[in-house]
Amino acid sequence: MFDDLDPKEFEDTARTVVEGCADLADASARAAMLGEAGLIGVSAPESVGGLALPLDFAVPVVAAAGAGLLGFPLIESMVLAKALAGVNDALAGEIAAGETVATIAWVGVAEDGVVGGAPMAAEAARVLVFRADGSAVLAPLGNGVTAEVTAPLDVDAPEARITLNGPVEGIVLSAEVVATLRADATLLRTGFVRGSAERCLSLAADYAQDRSQFGKPLSANQVIRHRLSRDRLAIETMRCGLTRALGPVPGGDAALARDTAWLSSAKAGIAVAESAIQVFGGMGFTWEVPLHRHLRQMRAQASYGAAAEGTEALGARVLAGRDNDWYGEIAHVV
Amino acid sequence: MTSQEPIGTQSPDTGAYAASARAWIRGNLTDALRTDRAHVPGASLGDKIAFEAAQHRAGLVGITWPKDYGGHGLTLREHLEANREIGLAPMPNAVNSIGKELAGPIIMAVGREDQKLDLLPKILKMDHIWCQGFSEPGAGSDLAGLRTRAERTADGWRVNGQKIWTSGASKSQMCLLLARSGTAEDRHKGLMLFAVPMDSPGIDVREIVSIDGARSFCEVFFNDVIVDEANMLGAPDEGWAAATRVLSIERATNRMYRAWRFQSEIDHLVAACRSDLRAFAILSEYKRDIAEARIAVENLKGHVETLVGDLLAGQQIGPRGSFPKLYWSEAHQRFAQVAYEIVSRLPANAGQPLADLKARMELLYFSSRAETIYAGTTEIQLDIIAKRILNLRKAG
Ligand SMILES: Cc1cc2nc3c(=O)[nH]c(=O)nc-3n(C[C@H](O)[C@H](O)[C@H](O)COP(=O)(O)OP(=O)(O)OC[C@H]3O[C@@H](n4cnc5c(N)ncnc54)[C@H](O)[C@@H]3O)c2cc1C
Repeated sequence: MFDDLDPKEFEDTARTVVEGCADLADASARAAMLGEAGLIGVSAPESVGGLALPLDFAVPVVAAAGAGLLGFPLIESMVLAKALAGVNDALAGEIAAGETVATIAWVGVAEDGVVGGAPMAAEAARVLVFRADGSAVLAPLGNGVTAEVTAPLDVDAPEARITLNGPVEGIVLSAEVVATLRADATLLRTGFVRGSAERCLSLAADYAQDRSQFGKPLSANQVIRHRLSRDRLAIETMRCGLTRALGPVPGGDAALARDTAWLSSAKAGIAVAESAIQVFGGMGFTWEVPLHRHLRQMRAQASYGAAAEGTEALGARVLAGRDNDWYGEIAHVV
Repeated sequence: MTSQEPIGTQSPDTGAYAASARAWIRGNLTDALRTDRAHVPGASLGDKIAFEAAQHRAGLVGITWPKDYGGHGLTLREHLEANREIGLAPMPNAVNSIGKELAGPIIMAVGREDQKLDLLPKILKMDHIWCQGFSEPGAGSDLAGLRTRAERTADGWRVNGQKIWTSGASKSQMCLLLARSGTAEDRHKGLMLFAVPMDSPGIDVREIVSIDGARSFCEVFFNDVIVDEANMLGAPDEGWAAATRVLSIERATNRMYRAWRFQSEIDHLVAACRSDLRAFAILSEYKRDIAEARIAVENLKGHVETLVGDLLAGQQIGPRGSFPKLYWSEAHQRFAQVAYEIVSRLPANAGQPLADLKARMELLYFSSRAETIYAGTTEIQLDIIAKRILNLRKAG
């Protein structure tokens, strides 16, 4: 159905737009530019002005955002535009068009009174807050729902803490809709990290070839070469895991493919950024070289996507498994 | 995490090919052949050979080979389906994997038609077990340094030299021999491939005991061995050049079941530990390591399935075959280390399921040490990625 479209072209377009966004003053201006280019609504239905393309096409867009250190809650806007369609088409359309900036508080639930991990909430008009029963409320920021930015980790898309005074009012998304939204966000986040890590490796590979010590480029040394090869392997692993998770997963478990692609990318992306900082030496420790910004945004994503908790939880699931019928005859006592 | 389902309650492969492969393995994998039954006396070599020949007849082997050469004439898609099932089962490793995944594809690429018609069906029927005579005492990673010489005679070639680490040589009928017509200084020039019958006069095979206690790899001595002109594979130089192209694809696709076998080892570990409260308590201390191993399994499936998809789409994969080899060998070794530590802590009076597990994981720990050495060591794979994928400069 989408045979004539190539996700790769979306990445090229997105890269140009993301570069353009870097010169803009605030999230609203970036929203307008991204919306104008049709990048926020890639996977939202046509009824809300989206392109109704599968997530395969949204992934390259967020990869470009990760590579380009985009100061915008793009993953959040994309999944909200898609999830709101059919619930509140008007708002979904505004988000897809870049007329309204919306974000998601990934950490905590409304019942806590304070939620966190809401990228760019300080510049957003609305924030989605999860509830303990799995549903969520998209609340207007302002009266009773206030955003506060204190020492953000991600300096490009600073996250805010949201204080909820009293019950949260707004558009309610059902637990079912929220589950899909989270699953979509997991895939997009994996793509974002892939883009960010890829940029770190390409910066490190260039630097290793340009900088000379002992009369030869750094890249002449096998330790440096092998380090970069391992980082390249990590990126290939992310790429393949994500490709698999995006497709039908014959003979496999699609949710598991998605979760493991994310959990492993979250960890590997951070490691690639750390490795690149090492290759840059003293330069790598400067604020000016953007590697720390990549590291920060990937660390922030790891926390939004609960990567550490997720790995623990996966371990518990594996230990609970009694799935392979070749070992079915072993009697279990636990 | 969105899913709280126990792992593996996943739907089985709906592909028809997978279903028939699964049913066949169920009906034919005896306890003696199973690798998770240490308390049952193991199958003989003859039984393993018969099992492998039966796998071919049942459509589990030779799937992508043309029908003219004894294959089933299908695609990598069916090969992948069958290999998922092969991997999930506690099946022994193939006796003739060198024949099926190395010699066969090379013969297919560079052999004459009469060679293909003669040699290929015998591999699948298990009439010919093959070994790979490439490595030498002085030429391992640096294969181009090999010294085994082939000199022209009136009606063929006279071969002198020594091979080492030749897996399965003592049970093979044929050797895929790499030799040279000139001297070692010629490096990549003048390399030649031969199909040499192992019963040729002048071949002497000595088994070497490996760290896992097996007697699989061997030293093979060639003293004035006469090889018929007809047994040359491809022209001098050409044969080797084509063979290296084949090898890069093979590195990516051989033993396609590896991800699923790795998964089945984790499944076995969990199932056996759940048979004993004390064992389960020990296993639970390694929850994070087990999670990492399970993540590695899914990642490896990603590598393999993406490559198969690309190959089916007609893409060149070039040096990308290094990725799954490198990824699998290291992740699998890490799991083997964890599994070894777990079974080393099991109580002495643990029951049969745990005794079987312990034997399997101890063997796995030692045998997995070879995985970062054979088929190009880890360091060589990293060199390949640096040079051929990242194109990193060495000079200013
Ligand atoms: C179980 C097993 C089965 C095998 N089966 C066969 C077979 O059937 N047929 C066959 O022909 N061969 C076989 N081999 C041989 C295998 O291919 C070689 O062992 C392998 O290529 C390494 O060569 P080597 O042993 O001479 O080690 P070396 O090449 O001497 O390497 C020793 C160490 O040095 C490192 N090293 C070497 N060069 C470099 C470099 N340039 N930079 C950095 N590090 C380097 C290596 O990575 C390794 O860690 C088998 C090996 C094993 C373990």
